[in-house]
Amino acid sequence: MPEEEAGESLIHVVIKAEVLFNIGPFEVTNSMVGAVLAAFVLLAAATYFEGRAKTVPSRMQSLIELPIEYMARLTEGSTSRWRGYVALVVGLFLMILVSNWLGLLPGVGTIGIVHGEELIPLVRPAAADLNFSLALAIVTFVVFVWWAIRVNGPIGYLKELVGEPRYMAPLMFPIHLISEVSRLVSLSMRLFGNVFAGEVLLATMLGLTTAAVFVLPLAFFVPAIFLVLELLFGAVQALVFALLAMTYITMAIAEHEGGHGSDDTEHEPTPQEHHAPSPA
Amino acid sequence: MIGAIGPGIGLGIGFSKAMEALGRNPEASGTIFVPYILGLALTEAIGIYCLVVALILIFAGG
Repeated sequence: MPEEEAGESLIHVVIKAEVLFNIGPFEVTNSMVGAVLAAFVLLAAATYFEGRAKTVPSRMQSLIELPIEYMARLTEGSTSRWRGYVALVVGLFLMILVSNWLGLLPGVGTIGIVHGEELIPLVRPAAADLNFSLALAIVTFVVFVWWAIRVNGPIGYLKELVGEPRYMAPLMFPIHLISEVSRLVSLSMRLFGNVFAGEVLLATMLGLTTAAVFVLPLAFFVPAIFLVLELLFGAVQALVFALLAMTYITMAIAEHEGGHGSDDTEHEPTPQEHHAPSPA
Repeated sequence: MIGAIGPGIGLGIGFSKAMEALGRNPEASGTIFVPYILGLALTEAIGIYCLVVALILIFAGG
């Protein structure tokens, strides 16, 4: 089918991030450029507003404060120790949000270096590379295991893994271990899959509509609809990643505090909690 | 494609239950929202695994 061939040549999908250039043995890929760009956007916003923040916020300031306050309020409701990890949750949210939305800017997939026959895009949305989302997931994993050990102690954490009826340990220990590690996999895979699928979807829609270019308005409107959809998905995925990170940390802490994890808000005002065993 | 059926059903059930809860108690929209998003994300993850496997088979497996 000729149409399919035309479509295939238009759609440029690579599952791995492509190498732009090397610094020594260190390969710089285009998704790294995307991640660094996102980090620079956040840094620039932070330095710009550092001295300028007022008690009565300007429009720009309240726009930037809105997501931060929202995530902070969500985290505040989780456990009594929310101050220890609120920065991580908000940071994860902002980083993923900015890097996802950067990927939707025009020119991200189209400006690049011509390498032989192929065009290598200069910037690739960072989360469309498994390395980026895996790195974020590993950070989250380390933090929630660290919190579990900090609250329960190393032996308490091991007991948590072994489970309640001690004679079931040979069966339950591997299951608990796998469930801990599968959180790492599911966190990273979810983000990567969503963002990468979004990229493929946009490319396919562009390819389809360019193949049917004789219906001119279609080529503009159909990708535009999907771009709006991706804008929404980028925000939802950032929210989901940050919320899940928060939930895992909350579970690691609340297993100790509330017993069953869900009713930690009831226990919050009790005075004993503030004298909880201090970190080792 | 088969892998999309299960999460599809699950997402539908989750969404309908969230809407039911919202209809019964409209003031609770704030408290329902977060567990709802989490549940949807966990359900959706299975569909995403399927997608990732498919994409790897298509683009990386050759």
